[in-house]
Amino acid sequence: MTLLGPNGAGKSTILKLLSGEITPHSGSVTIFGAPHSRQARRRIGLVLQEPSTDDLMTVRETLQLHGRLFGLGGGLRGGRLQTRCAELLDALGLSDRADDRCQTLSGGLRRRLDLARALLHDPQLLLLDEPTLALDPDSSGAIWDTLRQRAASGAAVVVCSNDTTEAEAYADRVVIVSAGRIVANDAPANLTAGLRRDAIELEWAAPSNADLAELQAWDDVGSVLQTEHGLLLIVDNSAAAAPRLFQRFGAEIRGLKIRESSLRDAWFQIVGQPLPQPRDDEA
Amino acid sequence: MIDTAWALWALLSRDVRAVARSRSQLYSSLLFPLMLLALLGTGVSSGLAPTSPRVLDGDYTSYLAPGMIAMTALFSSTFSSAGFYRDRESGLLRAILASPHSPQTILLGKALAAILIGSAQALLVLAVAVIIPGIDLAWQFGWLGGAATVAAAVLALNFMLSGLSLLLAVRIQTMQGFHLIMNLLLFPLFFFSGAFFPLDQTPAWLEVIGYINPLTYAVDLLHYASYADSPDGLIGPLIDGLVLGGLALLLFAVGLRRAPRTV
Repeated sequence: MTLLGPNGAGKSTILKLLSGEITPHSGSVTIFGAPHSRQARRRIGLVLQEPSTDDLMTVRETLQLHGRLFGLGGGLRGGRLQTRCAELLDALGLSDRADDRCQTLSGGLRRRLDLARALLHDPQLLLLDEPTLALDPDSSGAIWDTLRQRAASGAAVVVCSNDTTEAEAYADRVVIVSAGRIVANDAPANLTAGLRRDAIELEWAAPSNADLAELQAWDDVGSVLQTEHGLLLIVDNSAAAAPRLFQRFGAEIRGLKIRESSLRDAWFQIVGQPLPQPRDDEA
Repeated sequence: MIDTAWALWALLSRDVRAVARSRSQLYSSLLFPLMLLALLGTGVSSGLAPTSPRVLDGDYTSYLAPGMIAMTALFSSTFSSAGFYRDRESGLLRAILASPHSPQTILLGKALAAILIGSAQALLVLAVAVIIPGIDLAWQFGWLGGAATVAAAVLALNFMLSGLSLLLAVRIQTMQGFHLIMNLLLFPLFFFSGAFFPLDQTPAWLEVIGYINPLTYAVDLLHYASYADSPDGLIGPLIDGLVLGGLALLLFAVGLRRAPRTV
C-alpha cells in the first residue's frame, strides 16, 4: 500500500503513529488487532525518511546491532543472526560491502542497508518513508523488488511516497492523504479508471478567469488546473483538443506537452491540486 | 530479561567501538589532562613554590594528579554526550528507539558505555601518573586499597556525570547548546572543587561554594585515596562517598526516568 500526498499532508505522521514513535492526541491506533505494545514492535520493520546509519560502523555491524535489539542471536557469535545478516546482504547486493564502513556507501546502498535492517527480524508489517527518494533506477528497482517479494510472502507493506509513477507501477492499493485526511483509497487502476484519456500540459503565463471558465465549459475537457508554469487539462482526446486550443488561444500558449493521463492526474482530480513535480535529482 | 541484557550489551559494545574508532576524541581526552599535569604542575611547583600544607613538599604536580583524573572523567562524559547527538543527527537513535526496548533501556545502554569509557580513561590517566617519576602519590593506605578507592570514586563520578548528561542531552536540541551548558556548568564546578587549589586555604565564600559543589566530594575522595597523608582528607571519605554515591544514584535515576519516547 502506498500513502500518497503532498508535503505536510500527514503521511509521515501516519507512519510514526503506526510504528509507535508517537501516540495520537485523540483516537486510537490498533496494530495486529490490539493497542500498540512492545510486542507489536517486534513485528514491525521501519525505514525512516533519511538514511539512518552511523558512519563509523560497518554494514555488518549495523545489522548485528539491530539484530540483537530485536532478539536475534543469543550468543556472542550469534549464529542465527549471522545467517540472517548473510541472507539479507546477499539479497540486497551488499555482500561485497559487508565490512566497509557506512560512510563509504553511496546514498542508494545506504537505503538498501536501511531496508536490510528493517527486514532483519522478518517483520509482518513493513513501514517505509520515501525509501526510494533520490535513488537511481537500479537502486529503486532493487528496493521495490524486495518489497514486492515481502508483500507476496504475506507481509503488509506500507510506503509513504510522492512518486505517483512508482505507486502506479508497484502498489496494490493507493491511499491519498490530504491535510491529514484520507481522500481516496483504492487500487491504482480503479483510481485512474474514471479519468479522461489524455493530459495536456500548457505553458501559458497568465490565463484569465474568463479563459479558465471557457476551457472548463468545453465538453471534451474534464478538469482544468493552474500549475506553476501554466495549465493542466485532462481531456478525452488530445488529438482533437490540441488544434482547438491553438486555434482559440494560440497567441497565449508558449508550449504544449501531451501524455497519457496517470495516477498523478487522478490525484489532481481528487484533491484539486497537483502533486509536486519531482526534482531532477529525485527523478 | 535476557533480551534486555543482550540489547544493553549490543548498545554498550557499539558505543565503545565508536569511541575506539574516533581516534582524535580518544587522544585529546587523554592527552589534555596529562599535558596540564606536566605543564601546569611543573610550572606552579617551580615558578610559584606553593607553601600550603596541603601541597606536600610544594609538589604541585602530585597535588594536581587526582584532579586531572576527575577532569578526564568530565571530558569523557562530555564527549560521550556528543556521541548521543551524533546518533540523533544521523537518525540512528530514532532507528534504535523503534526497537521493542523501552527508551530507558536504550539510554541505559548508552550511559553504561559512557561510564565504562569515562572510567577506563580516568584510570588510564592514573596509571600514567603512577608511572611518571616526577609524580609522587602517597597511597596512604597502600596502593591496592587506594587504587580500589580511586576506581570506586571514578565510577561514582562517571555515574553522576552520566546522569547529568542524560538529563541535559534529551532536552537540549543541539550539540552546541549542550556544550555551552556543560561548559557553563561543569567548568566553574571543576575550578571550585579543590582540583586546582586546596579549598580550606581560600576565602570563606569560595570555601562555601566548594562545599556546595558535588565535584568537590569526588576530588576529595581521589585526594584521600591517592595523595593526602592525613587520615581524613578535607571532608572525609564517608561523607565524600555518601554525597557522591547519593547524587550519582539520584541523577542517574531521574535522568533515566524522564527519558522521552522520541528524541
